[in-house]
Amino acid sequence: MVNRKLAKVSTFRYKILATVFIVLAGGLVLLPKHEKHEGIKPELLLANLISTERYISTDILADKIINNDPSFILIDVRNEESYSNFTIGDALNIPLEKFLDEVSINYLDQNQYDIIFISNDNFYAEQAWMLGSRLGFKNLHVLEGGINKWFNTIINPKKPTETMPEEQFVLYSNRKAASMFFGVAYPEQFKPAKKDKAIVKTKQPAPPKKVIKVKKKKKAPAEGGC
Amino acid sequence: MKELEKTKRISIATTLFILIVIMALLAYKRPIHIYAVNTEHTLEKIVSKDYFVSLKEINNPDYVLIDVRSHFEFEKGHLENAVNIHTSEILLDNSKKVFDELKENGKTVVLYASNTNEASPTFLILYQLGYNNVKILNVENSYSNNQLITKSIDVEKSNADIKNFIAESVKKAKKVSKKNVKRPVATVKKAPKKIITVKKKKKAPAEGGC
Repeated sequence: MVNRKLAKVSTFRYKILATVFIVLAGGLVLLPKHEKHEGIKPELLLANLISTERYISTDILADKIINNDPSFILIDVRNEESYSNFTIGDALNIPLEKFLDEVSINYLDQNQYDIIFISNDNFYAEQAWMLGSRLGFKNLHVLEGGINKWFNTIINPKKPTETMPEEQFVLYSNRKAASMFFGVAYPEQFKPAKKDKAIVKTKQPAPPKKVIKVKKKKKAPAEGGC
Repeated sequence: MKELEKTKRISIATTLFILIVIMALLAYKRPIHIYAVNTEHTLEKIVSKDYFVSLKEINNPDYVLIDVRSHFEFEKGHLENAVNIHTSEILLDNSKKVFDELKENGKTVVLYASNTNEASPTFLILYQLGYNNVKILNVENSYSNNQLITKSIDVEKSNADIKNFIAESVKKAKKVSKKNVKRPVATVKKAPKKIITVKKKKKAPAEGGC
């Protein structure tokens, strides 16, 4: 009797085994996602961190805003109070606490725009950048020096002293023009009214220096005879 | 006979299956660095702001100072008893050993760099890898006469009220403009001229050549 029963069960043994496996496999699907390992590898994150590609200088940002560059979004990561007091351009406000909310993620996780984080310093902006880039978001940038540097360079640029190189004067005049664009008024502004537009177009004070280097190279070919 | 063939097939299939599983297990390489904390918890940590150490506290015997600047900067000047591990080296085996050992011994790792901003990404990477004993020294390092000067700073402090500054500049300008106006700025007009000279110089290199 016992043998017969065993034999009966044993004919089903493969089916039983198969069902056990299927049930176990189904369990795998139901397992919660391993959340700790979300995002890119630590090694890659570190590599991204070491490169300074993410920084955008205040001068470049000013240039972008003035030229109505449509390719970027500014995101202010300070709290709402400081945001409502002052922010650069038409920045959006995503306080750090709400950084991982669904609404914020929709803004951050996209490929279309360059995102520039701003805060008073780089501190919060950089932390936002760290979180975002760990999650694999693309095109994230940080405003170098934050709003404090924005104030010191764009809104209230320092007048160069007379002994400084001429580029400094050009840079200063560019920055001054930019500050006028952002609403700062200068006493002399009321006479020659259309100053700022002319200057904005002739930005980029760097080139003159490079030209000198080119000249030096010219001397070299003369030495080598054909 | 038929029964025998069936079992043969099954046994072949099972051995193959087991072999594949064993091969897969052997081939699996455990990643060296694994996040121990997900982004949500990291965000909580960031917002809590309990990871700052001020300059007065560094004499605490449980604190181990780690300088995450480059070797060059470290040689130039560093805080007393600090160990140099540059940010790019924090994932190397040697550094990992150091951090593991410090964590086991219950020490607190205090990171510092040229300023607090620079140390914070390094801190975040270490924190996310599970070193919850890491903190940041809230200082700014600068040099004066080749001497390292370390100052406490406030992170994210707003230095100027820009809104007021703009409003005031407008007020001032209006006042002045009512009284007397005639001060064209000479430096402004210099800018366009410069660019013309640049173009001339660029043409020159074409002459060279054999």
